[in-house]
Amino acid sequence: MTDTWQSAAAQRRLAKRHAAERRFRAIGLASIVISLLFLAVLLFTMAKNGIGGLSLDFLLGSDSTDASTAGVWGAVKGSLLTMLVTLALSFPMGVLAAIYLEEFAPKNRWTEWVEVSINNLAAVPSIIFGLLGLAVFINLAHLPRSSPLVGGMTLALMTMPVIVISGRNAIKAVPPSIRDAALAVGASPVQTVFHHVLPLALPGILTGTIIGMARALGETAPLLMIGMRAFVSTPPGGITDPSSVLPMQIFLWSDEIDPGFVQNTSAAIIVLLVFLLAMNGVAIYLRNKFETRW
Amino acid sequence: MTSNIVLAAILALGIVGWFAARSKARLLYTGRGSLHSMPGYHGWYVALWLIVPALIAWAAWQAIMPGLVETAILAQPIAAKLPTIDMDRAAVLSEAWNLARDPGAAAFNPLATEFAEPLRDLQFRYSMIGGVLALVLAFAGGAYAFTRVRSGFPARTRTERTVMFLLLLASLVAILTTIGIVVSLLYETGLFFSQISPIDFLTGLHWSPKDVADGADFGAVPLFWGTIYIGAIIAMIVAIPLGLMSAVYLTQYATPTARKVLKPILEILAGIPTVVYGYFAALTVAPMVRDFAEMMGKDNPSTESALAAGLVMGVMIIPFVSSMADDSMAAVPQAMRDGSLAMGATESETIKRVLLPAALPGIVAGVMLAVSRAIGETMIVVMAAGAAARLSADPFASMTTVTYQIVQLLTGDQEFNSPKTLSAFALGLVLFIITLVLNIVALRVVKRFREAYD
Repeated sequence: MTDTWQSAAAQRRLAKRHAAERRFRAIGLASIVISLLFLAVLLFTMAKNGIGGLSLDFLLGSDSTDASTAGVWGAVKGSLLTMLVTLALSFPMGVLAAIYLEEFAPKNRWTEWVEVSINNLAAVPSIIFGLLGLAVFINLAHLPRSSPLVGGMTLALMTMPVIVISGRNAIKAVPPSIRDAALAVGASPVQTVFHHVLPLALPGILTGTIIGMARALGETAPLLMIGMRAFVSTPPGGITDPSSVLPMQIFLWSDEIDPGFVQNTSAAIIVLLVFLLAMNGVAIYLRNKFETRW
Repeated sequence: MTSNIVLAAILALGIVGWFAARSKARLLYTGRGSLHSMPGYHGWYVALWLIVPALIAWAAWQAIMPGLVETAILAQPIAAKLPTIDMDRAAVLSEAWNLARDPGAAAFNPLATEFAEPLRDLQFRYSMIGGVLALVLAFAGGAYAFTRVRSGFPARTRTERTVMFLLLLASLVAILTTIGIVVSLLYETGLFFSQISPIDFLTGLHWSPKDVADGADFGAVPLFWGTIYIGAIIAMIVAIPLGLMSAVYLTQYATPTARKVLKPILEILAGIPTVVYGYFAALTVAPMVRDFAEMMGKDNPSTESALAAGLVMGVMIIPFVSSMADDSMAAVPQAMRDGSLAMGATESETIKRVLLPAALPGIVAGVMLAVSRAIGETMIVVMAAGAAARLSADPFASMTTVTYQIVQLLTGDQEFNSPKTLSAFALGLVLFIITLVLNIVALRVVKRFREAYD
């Protein structure tokens, strides 16, 4: 019996199969390495081109036609105002919608439509939201063009489905025994949700919100549609002033012919990536610190 | 200005009402069971009655006020100076409105400056009327609610009913957004198709959007081809093998520690803004692709190429494909894998012959979602793919996509209702329908696939 297995032919076949195994494994490792290498090259290129441009003047200045005096503060302030509007609209609406769908919605056709529509909205290309913003907020409602108000409203519509989906998951993760206990001592259903379920689900909801906001912060295409590409040399004073946002500033500078703007663009990208990294860091911290495994 | 003051006043009244009602309810408390609702709920009940009707009235007044102001100014003797032609009159008035809002604004028409002053006065007077109206309504609502604060009054039930209404309203926003997208796209597309035939649009081979008088062509096939070539072919050639093999390695071979480190780093690729990818594509990848094309013997290749955009887009999609493949491989029962290994198959044989075929429906669905994401991607193609609408299979040629054209058509100076601008909405509608269909089919497939192994 052992002879069959130890024959030279069998050994050769086995060696071939093991070689194939090693090859397959190497291909897997290689594809990860290639992906990560691409990331490394991208980050390195931006760092190499941009690190020299990161000065205090650059961080505190506003857009200018001269590469050496242009700065990002105007765009950063525009981004902050836009994000403020987005957060103020999408967070309450997203959380309330998540509560309704998870805790109170009757199981009927209407609720199903709401769910389908939320899931689809999460996958609609961002430029379509820009078209919606242009058609409704600007051409129909005549809100001020290229303002953080309209930009924030457009991005809020885009961010809300993300918050609803993560909010529902967080609420679903709260065990039913919490609800039963609250109801058993006489709390009304609304009290149960707002006093007990929501506080326990909040870390999860916040994590989802931050991730949604990070995505909105990096978004350019929908804002192009509503005209946030104006040349703005002074930081916006309020949410109805014309303004630019950080990704839009990157896009505008990338079009400039003056080679001095290569440094500016890369430096602005570093600023944007630092913001995103910080937001994601906070999200991960929140998740690790407050997440409870029931 | 007035708006802020009125809103602040309403809000302040609401807070005062909340405290007043709560202290009144507290005085009613005489022992266990003497009050139906906690004092705080009485506070909320009164505050809601104060704020909600007043806010609705103020918003309604804001909506009708410009019309009232305009009627009033046309009734004044100064209106005789206005030009009689409707269009000129509208131009003067809109400039006067701008001046009334912002005295520093530039005015081209001296008549507008004359109108700005009375317009501002009228506007001030009417917003005062509206503000007083809103405040009176707030008082009336608050007083009515305040008289109802009694020991047996079910303030909690009433307040909770309002909360439930708010919850329902919030969930309706999602459906309203969907309806808004569909209606606005359909409406503008309808306007477009009333000028250009849909058959020409969907089957025409030539795209040069200009004004109709200059002989514009709205054949969108080259755009569809460019979109599919970049997003569904080149990007997928990059993303599918790399994403799939990354998922295989991470789930089947990597040690738990390596997996814990590598996976989040891979996910960073999905978190980088697309404008950064676009810049990287234009700055680094596109020149490399051009040099490569030159080496291959093409003379004078363009800097912008379908290949550069598609490559970078593919890398962006890798984490997406990888996590979808990860999920569907995790859904395959462990017993199938164990069975194959027990028969003496090596791990790679198990993966190739058992795991991947079993996970195939889920992976296909993931790829469909990835395609829908790639064809909707805008910034990379705007910055790296070029503007030339052409039907070509040459990856080094510059090529344009649906999203690129939408951006081109809608940025810069635009007049609404020209077919050039409207065609962007028709393109948007096509994009919306395709991504929607891809998503719905993919989610169906995933659902059925999950059920098969449950």
